[in-house]
Amino acid sequence: MRIRNAGMDRFSGLYLGALFVLIFGLWTPDLFLTSGTLHSVASNQAIGAMLALAVLIPMAGGCYDLSVGAVAGISTVIVVTLQSNHGWSMGPAILVTVVIAAVAGLVNGFVVVKLRVDAFIATLGTATIIAAFQTIISDGAQPPLPRSPGWRDLTQQTVFGFQIVVIYLLLLTVLVWWVLEHTPAGRYIYAIGGNEEAAHLSGVAVGRWRWMSMIASAAIAGIAGVLYGSLTGPSLTYGPGLLLPAFAAAFLGTTQVRPGRPNAWGTLLAVYVLAIGVKGMQLVTGVQWLNDMFNGGALILAVAFAVWRQRRPGANSRKAGARPLAPARSGSE
Amino acid sequence: MLQVSNLSKTFSGQAALAGLNLTIEAGQVHALLGGNGSGKSTFIKILSGYHKPDPGGSVRVAGSELTFGSPESSRSSGCRFVHQDLGLIDTSSVLDNVMFGRGFPRTLATVRSRRARHLAVAMLDRAGLDLDPDALVGALTPAQKTEVAVARALSPASGEEVRLLVLDEPTATLPHDEVDQLLATIRRVSSHQVGVIFVTHRLEEVLRVAHQVTVLRDGRRIASRGMEGLTRSELVHLLVGDELDETQAIAEKLADPADAPVALTARSVSTQTVAPFDLDVRQGEIVGVAGITGSGREAVLGSLFGALKRIDGEVRVKNAPLRPNDPRRSIRAGMVFMPAERRTRGGVLGLSAQENLSLAKVTKHWRFPLMRRTQERRQTAYWFSRLGVRPDDGSTLPLSAFSGGNQQKILLARWLNCEPSVLMVDEPTQGVDIQARARIHEELVGAAKSGTAVLVSSSDVDELVALSHRVLILRAGEVVEILEGSDVTIGNVTRRTLVSTHEEHHEDS
Ligand SMILES: Nc1ncnc2c1ncn2[C@@H]1O[C@H](COP(=O)(O)OP(=O)(O)OP(=O)(O)O)[C@@H](O)[C@H]1O
Ligand SMILES: [Mg+2]
Repeated sequence: MRIRNAGMDRFSGLYLGALFVLIFGLWTPDLFLTSGTLHSVASNQAIGAMLALAVLIPMAGGCYDLSVGAVAGISTVIVVTLQSNHGWSMGPAILVTVVIAAVAGLVNGFVVVKLRVDAFIATLGTATIIAAFQTIISDGAQPPLPRSPGWRDLTQQTVFGFQIVVIYLLLLTVLVWWVLEHTPAGRYIYAIGGNEEAAHLSGVAVGRWRWMSMIASAAIAGIAGVLYGSLTGPSLTYGPGLLLPAFAAAFLGTTQVRPGRPNAWGTLLAVYVLAIGVKGMQLVTGVQWLNDMFNGGALILAVAFAVWRQRRPGANSRKAGARPLAPARSGSE
Repeated sequence: MLQVSNLSKTFSGQAALAGLNLTIEAGQVHALLGGNGSGKSTFIKILSGYHKPDPGGSVRVAGSELTFGSPESSRSSGCRFVHQDLGLIDTSSVLDNVMFGRGFPRTLATVRSRRARHLAVAMLDRAGLDLDPDALVGALTPAQKTEVAVARALSPASGEEVRLLVLDEPTATLPHDEVDQLLATIRRVSSHQVGVIFVTHRLEEVLRVAHQVTVLRDGRRIASRGMEGLTRSELVHLLVGDELDETQAIAEKLADPADAPVALTARSVSTQTVAPFDLDVRQGEIVGVAGITGSGREAVLGSLFGALKRIDGEVRVKNAPLRPNDPRRSIRAGMVFMPAERRTRGGVLGLSAQENLSLAKVTKHWRFPLMRRTQERRQTAYWFSRLGVRPDDGSTLPLSAFSGGNQQKILLARWLNCEPSVLMVDEPTQGVDIQARARIHEELVGAAKSGTAVLVSSSDVDELVALSHRVLILRAGEVVEILEGSDVTIGNVTRRTLVSTHEEHHEDS
């Protein structure tokens, strides 16, 4: 791992981000280069970034969890409904909601580990079922916003000019980074993602860790859903819309910071580089549809980039990333 | 026929191949030798278009320049490969795998299955393989996989002439009889004016089949000469200089630990491919497992450990019963197992050498709240120097960046590092050079000396005989006998593992 090119590879996202700042800063300095833009980009992306972290954990273990969007969505509805319609106070409502989300992860894990259904299919299925539950709970109508003053403050009070949700995101990133990089659990999860059979024969409890990763993923999605309810207010439809950007960021993240493996800081970097790009374009052009276009394009580019890195002469074994849907892995150089 | 000039390849600042020049004549079998990490596979991957070399070199096949980095160019100029990792698709059938190389016969874009099957069967026949074309490649033994890869490389495609056949350690896990078969194939191929590059660490094979030999060291050619009049010891000398007399390393056989306590007990253990067998292994004892391909040899260790489904029977380690099919508990109980399939079942190629090495014992380095990286690095460095892994500062490189033999050493270190009471290894020296082979044998003997019960399964009878106190003989899915003491000889083991035609008839009736 010799650093020969000033991190051009590992931190190319930072350079790209800096480039965006430079371009849009020169283009529309009075719109773009403001602390308002900075703060709003930071908190607008916080929920999406949390979902990307949720996607990241099972992805490191070689599983795709497509249900995070649905889990976030139903969590918002539950936490709001409990408070507005059933008179719960904030604390218990949040706790119960996150537990319910974790149970969804438990079910995902059961289907994947015990019934041995491929995670891709399994979570596609549970996502649909969860969406149905959401309709049952909400009865198709958006629940009213909880009136307690604490509810808004949960995410919107400001710290150093940033909404506090940004701080939550940082804490969560540190947590995920710590678990994946600095604990045995992370070692096991990466080993399972790299070669399940070898991990199993090395004494790694493959089923257990895979299951745990699905639970962690759903719990994080649940937290993201709760915070969304406080930050933006209840919504019945936002969850699935955040799924694609979450995957785009997690994929793009595999090319950053620790190239070749899905990782927390790379994911965070990816989220914000994309966001800065989108924001700048929106300010310049004034159109709203850029977001979707950018995210879709970024997903494809991210995967293409990861594959290209791998196939490039001098990159390591093709076999390591041979599974067509697996997170692309390439060796660090 | 093949002319290589000034070929170099550098990986992140380190030269794997440095200015190689080489000429190979049509009809010649050219042995390419060299220690682990000397650049053999790198050279071959350049020929096949997988790696792009550093600028400045050139390769000509039958007079025409090869386009680097293009597998198509390599194929159309007549080069065929059996790579070290074979490159088969585990989840496809034997039939599909052999057909991928040449393309399926088609009518109106539809695969003509019957014709494809016909061709495939003919191809397998020609290669002397008795395999079910519908079997999944993943379910085959390593030796069978090698055979499929060879059959595929030789499969004729219309309008393409094979000029060069390149085999990267095809014999690493082949038993003697199949080696004979493969060498015969090589001779036959070369007699059709095809050039053959043959990489191996087994010198007898070189002596038997090669016309010409080239030795690499650190990516440079250090010798190239004809085989006439070359003896084995001269060959060893070419390879390693005066440093080592390979036969002495394992000469000292261990005393029989006749009254040491029993470490491993197996009672009527059976799997899908092996009939029930009993076995006791004492502390400090080395037991070999011998058998030809398909004899069930490959399943014995795995079934004891729990890597393979144990249908019935009981396994105890130091009197504690093991749950079937539960590698994690077996490891906790002190039993470890290194499978023969290095890349698919052994290593996690995308993780670093260090992470691979400590995978079976991660918690040893865990002290809340952080993994103790320094301690882990020190441990890796220790094993790297103990087993001579190169590059020696490569502990953070991904496993896939190591040469085949060095991967083997790293994975062995993983298991030795567990300080097991029962150590089971399948093909422990596959792909390692003669020095490393001696080193690994020393390690196994050393483990036994310190009281470990060692089980070695190998297609290499010399190795089994050199190491073992006793040798289990498998034939047609049954443990037919256990040779002991002075009965453990190369001749005996080889003879007993082969089923005589007489017995075959007997068993059929
Ligand atoms: N993808 C890679 N990235 C970095 N280094 C590599 C890569 N592939 C090979 N190397 C290095 O190049 C050198 C030569 O490796 P190569 O695989 O050619 O050895 P080899 O002669 O085939 O050895 P073996 O007998 O063990 O198979 C080794 O030091 C290896 O670590
Ligand atoms: Mg090699």
